[in-house]
Amino acid sequence: MSSQYEYHKSLKWQPEDMLSGITLKQLITSSDARLLGIKGMLLAMIMLGIGGAMAMTMRVELMQPGIQYIESKPFINAVTIHGLIMVLAFSVPFATSALYFILPQTLGLKKMEMSWAAHMSFLSLLIGGVLLFISRPDFTWSFYAPLSLRVATDMIWMAHIAIILVGISEFLGGFPLIATARAWKKKSGGKWSDMPLSGWSALTGGLFLVLSAPALSVVGVYMLTDYLELTALFDPARGGDALTFLFMSWFYGHPAVYLPLVPLVGVLYHMLPRLLGRNLWSHKSGVYAFTLMFVVGFGVWVHHFQPNFTIHSWVNFFFQFMTMLIIVPSSLHVFNWVATLWQGPISPEARVSIPFKFVCGAIFMIIVGGVNGYINGNIAVDTSFIHNTYWLPAHFHAMFLGFIGMMAMAVFYFLFPYMTGRRFNQGLANLHFWIWLPGIFAQVMLMFWLGMNYFPRWVVDYLPLPEWVTGQFWLSIAGFANGIGFVIFVINVVISVRNGEKFEGDPWEFPDTSSSSSATSPKPAE
Amino acid sequence: MNNALGYMGEQNMLFAIMLIMGFVGIIALFFALFTPTRWQVPYSVEIIFAAVIAIVTFGGALVSQKTVNEYWADVPNMDELSKISGKVTIDQGADKFDKVVSAYLFQWGFIFINPDGSATRNALSVKPGERVLVHVLSNDVIHGFQIPVVGLTTEVDPKAVRSTWFKAPKKPGKYLIQCMDYCGIGHHQMKAWLVVDDGSDDDDEKQGAQG
Repeated sequence: MSSQYEYHKSLKWQPEDMLSGITLKQLITSSDARLLGIKGMLLAMIMLGIGGAMAMTMRVELMQPGIQYIESKPFINAVTIHGLIMVLAFSVPFATSALYFILPQTLGLKKMEMSWAAHMSFLSLLIGGVLLFISRPDFTWSFYAPLSLRVATDMIWMAHIAIILVGISEFLGGFPLIATARAWKKKSGGKWSDMPLSGWSALTGGLFLVLSAPALSVVGVYMLTDYLELTALFDPARGGDALTFLFMSWFYGHPAVYLPLVPLVGVLYHMLPRLLGRNLWSHKSGVYAFTLMFVVGFGVWVHHFQPNFTIHSWVNFFFQFMTMLIIVPSSLHVFNWVATLWQGPISPEARVSIPFKFVCGAIFMIIVGGVNGYINGNIAVDTSFIHNTYWLPAHFHAMFLGFIGMMAMAVFYFLFPYMTGRRFNQGLANLHFWIWLPGIFAQVMLMFWLGMNYFPRWVVDYLPLPEWVTGQFWLSIAGFANGIGFVIFVINVVISVRNGEKFEGDPWEFPDTSSSSSATSPKPAE
Repeated sequence: MNNALGYMGEQNMLFAIMLIMGFVGIIALFFALFTPTRWQVPYSVEIIFAAVIAIVTFGGALVSQKTVNEYWADVPNMDELSKISGKVTIDQGADKFDKVVSAYLFQWGFIFINPDGSATRNALSVKPGERVLVHVLSNDVIHGFQIPVVGLTTEVDPKAVRSTWFKAPKKPGKYLIQCMDYCGIGHHQMKAWLVVDDGSDDDDEKQGAQG
């Protein structure tokens, strides 16, 4: 693939008003990959709003030590809904839906294969989400047994069923990606290594989904049967073992972090050449990175808990080493992006475009969040201050909010003209970006700082130690800022869908400026 | 950050490597975005880059493993302990430590069984600089056992015994012990105090230092 840029140009991406004149029934039943993508992304964005509202609730309560506004039980409800929604109902569906949207066109195919599975996946997730809200679980997003079997309200079995349904949803959601990648192979007859990188992300991301999600469903089934007292696999009081739960659920739980990451990395590989108007630095490097990430990503899940005393130390060393090794493929991706940005001029038009800004912000945050994986992976440091202090939320908020959240926004702004045929409001989008970049960075840094001061996770109340009080106060401020940024985004979308300027031609194709190497970043034009 | 496990030096080294990697990445990104010079990165750079990362990560894992092995060297055999789970006698491993206690974690608090058989609730009393071995047990759900001042975090599953040790701070005072794993809606109340007592009667001065 020596000329990805020419290839993308030949695809003729045009703004298209896909949404006006479409009925809800058409949106829900259509098997057009782009409509499937829009459907999934819209649901994910609604979920992001709900999860964000939960985060705001938590931040209001945590602003000061002591219990001011809500008690522990509703607070933990909010924590649980926030975590489950953000991981299972925002990140993963958004990433896969975004890939559904661009995949057939980038692979030069007419349609997505096995789109029925995407329909079932959406439906399953929707039912699971509703059940989850009704059951109001309070067992955190990692739902550790035996706690999750005992904290029952009467409706907690619904949460167990919701977990099963989410597992089914993700399992089914992977098939269209794999099948479409295979369809490319069949149609083009080329080598696998020549497949565009969005195809590679579909292949490895789809395999991640299909191979890991069944573990989540199985855990859900056993939690349900344990709760109904048919089995006792996870309940130590009745002869089960909590470690069984930990090994089983994290077998899903670690690959789960790659489920949103890999598709969005693929979309990023698609966006960069189009925005910059030139090729990626290296296609092969991306292929190696995807493959290595897939191979290593399945061998690290034990680092999520401390099984020190029941497994042999060389097993611990193996997982520690694999955890450290995952840095290699991740940093190969980042290397490729930075080298792509570096190898040629960046046109002023690209520089002021909103998706480009969000992409750069996402790359910045994945560096910030990624390098501390080097510390987190070490068992010695983990047993000192990392395990379940705020250091851990800092790491995964840098990745989930910093990379996946920023990339989700980049993708949404990028695809907005193709969905609506209109431009979004540039000024509001700029405001959104300039709130989010410092807001997310400050939030993550404050969380790291609190983690180094041993602030525990999942608490509604905390001791009034000076560093804890200061950290939590400013963390709340940063959190509110990010919330305001999201509200601005929603306002922008609502306004622009109705009143945005209609236009022709590819909005992200900028004139070639290879002669002038402008370094200064001009002010946004609008 | 205090750390009484004795690997502060190595931990600082890992931290320094992490910071260097982060700064190199961010500076490269800024150069790529904002400097006029354009650079077609040769492929050899990436090979060197990947090799350096691989070596650094493998080295970090080795350093960590060495520290962990040294830390566990004096702790009694874990296999033996887990076989008799729930029935740990408090003198197991006593020969290599100054004090051996058992800690029972429950929803939501700590009970410490001292060598003389007495039990204290939510308070563990030790002498300054003492090497203390703790057999940590949970009787209901997964709990965590963390003493910030000595940099110790242990996760404990029900039915398993987790033996862990720390070196008590030299300065007398009252230090925080807290639960680290979500264990129900009373999780935020699950705290205890590590009371470092040098034997003097002057109780008023002990309120000063907190974790």
